[in-house]
Amino acid sequence: MKEIEEFLRENKPVVKDDPTFILEAQRRMEAVEGIKAEVDRQRCYGRLALIITLMVGLFLGVVATAIAYLYPLDANTVGQGILDSIRQFLTTWKQHLLLPVALLAIALSLVLMSGKRSRSTF
Amino acid sequence: MTQERFISLVRAEQEPLRRFLLALCGGDAALADDIAQDALVRAYVASGSFLGLSKFSTWLFRIAYNCYIDHCRKVRPDQTSLEDAVALPASETSDASFRYQQLYQALERIPEKEKAAIALFYFEDKSIKEISAILNMPQGTVKYQLSMGRNHLKQYIQL
Repeated sequence: MKEIEEFLRENKPVVKDDPTFILEAQRRMEAVEGIKAEVDRQRCYGRLALIITLMVGLFLGVVATAIAYLYPLDANTVGQGILDSIRQFLTTWKQHLLLPVALLAIALSLVLMSGKRSRSTF
Repeated sequence: MTQERFISLVRAEQEPLRRFLLALCGGDAALADDIAQDALVRAYVASGSFLGLSKFSTWLFRIAYNCYIDHCRKVRPDQTSLEDAVALPASETSDASFRYQQLYQALERIPEKEKAAIALFYFEDKSIKEISAILNMPQGTVKYQLSMGRNHLKQYIQL
């Protein structure tokens, strides 16, 4: 057993000196830094978009509430009127509406299928 | 950890790390360096989690070993052969070259854990405790792997 131990100690693998090794490592680390910065930037944009959406939503809510208080309407009259107009619209255009709805359903299913396929490749 | 600090630590450890991976890869220097580069990127990304509770080299070797294991899982067993174990130039037909060829071919024949334990103990002069931390196994198991590795190598190396 001593012999094999001596053999192993005397025959350590020799690594050729490669000055490009550290340079390559540095290049990869720079790339990692770039990716990190991009991820941070995207996260920042996402946060900003969220804050803007919240602020706009809040503003619109305040405006809608103010209008509702300033110009009160009879809810039953308005609701009935809207329902009637929707019913009339559907009755008139039901034949023409069928085609876009079907196309939309097909497009949606195609998008979902392609999304699943692209996820499965990673 | 800053990039400069990380690079300075890696500079000191690059040779042992590459040698360790060279032994694991059966003398394939290009593959060993590729795995080493992957390990360095992984280590750099995770450098924030390095708390200094263990040596930097222990932590880095552990990441490198995990990268090597990942590589082995990706590569199908039938894609490698013992003939590919050594890629020494034809001109190097010296005695030393023959010994390395014999060593790499023998290392390729033994299980991964035994190979890693042998490489760390004999080529990198790591202690049992360090090897235990790198390979994530108890110290008793490291001793057993070393013993089994020596026995296996004895069968394949002509002394």
